Amino acid sequence: MPGFYSSVDISASGLSAERLAMDVIANNIANANTTRTPEGGPFKRQLILFAQKPDAAAAQPGAATPMGEQGGGLAGVQAVGIVSDQGPDKLVYDPSHPDADTNGYVHYPNIEVVKEMVDMMAASRAYEANVTAIQDARQMGQATLSLLQA
Amino acid sequence: MSDFSFGKTADLLKNAIGGSGLNQSAIANNIANVNTPNYRRETVSFKEALAQSLGAPPDPDQLSLAVDNPKHIAFNEGIEPTPYTTPPVKLDEGIEMRPDHSNVDVDQEMSLLAQNTGYQQTMAQILKVNYQQLRTLFTENP
Repeated sequence: MPGFYSSVDISASGLSAERLAMDVIANNIANANTTRTPEGGPFKRQLILFAQKPDAAAAQPGAATPMGEQGGGLAGVQAVGIVSDQGPDKLVYDPSHPDADTNGYVHYPNIEVVKEMVDMMAASRAYEANVTAIQDARQMGQATLSLLQA
Repeated sequence: MSDFSFGKTADLLKNAIGGSGLNQSAIANNIANVNTPNYRRETVSFKEALAQSLGAPPDPDQLSLAVDNPKHIAFNEGIEPTPYTTPPVKLDEGIEMRPDHSNVDVDQEMSLLAQNTGYQQTMAQILKVNYQQLRTLFTENP
């Protein structure tokens, strides 16, 4: 049985996932010119992976819930991992740079700042959509609770 | 869940509010998964479940066949009302419009969200009026 404000929990999972996406994008922009990392080589662009959160109640055998029979359940979204983009590094010819290779090329991260800005706008708009869903759920809850003061 | 009822209208409104709550969860889930690749949007057809619980009378504009045996088919006999059951959450295998193979359209979800909220608030308001009428009946006030 979902709680009275279960849809707020679902939207909250969206908020935290989009916020984590913003963190990853901010980290990419901050490291757009990082040529040294502890692992060696330049910084690699990080990508966040989203997946639908499995519904714990529907996964239990014999659970008497109408949800999850055909759908994947209503449990929201989760970030399942942050992976490195294995695309090629950007090469800039600068033989005097301390991190230049033997041919005089410096390996810069495979980050396009413009692309990151676009991803950031998408994450920001998705965050706003989840906020609107929470506001609407709250209005619905208030409408139901106002039945008590009739 | 108690079986106590304040009448057909109150029961119908109660199911409408419950169904719109489930629908709200489905829409919230679609919005939360707006950036999930390969996601399939989920829908709750609670209005169909409500319509089935009401049944339908025979269409007055159509003639019905006379029957004198239960095995005869009358046509146009309307739909028998069935007890309301919580509608299941269904996957929408609609057209993918996005390169990440998800079929969520965020504009559509936001408009469905607004519709659902307005619907729920309307039903709650009608239920409130229904309870106010009952209260008038119960109150011993001239």
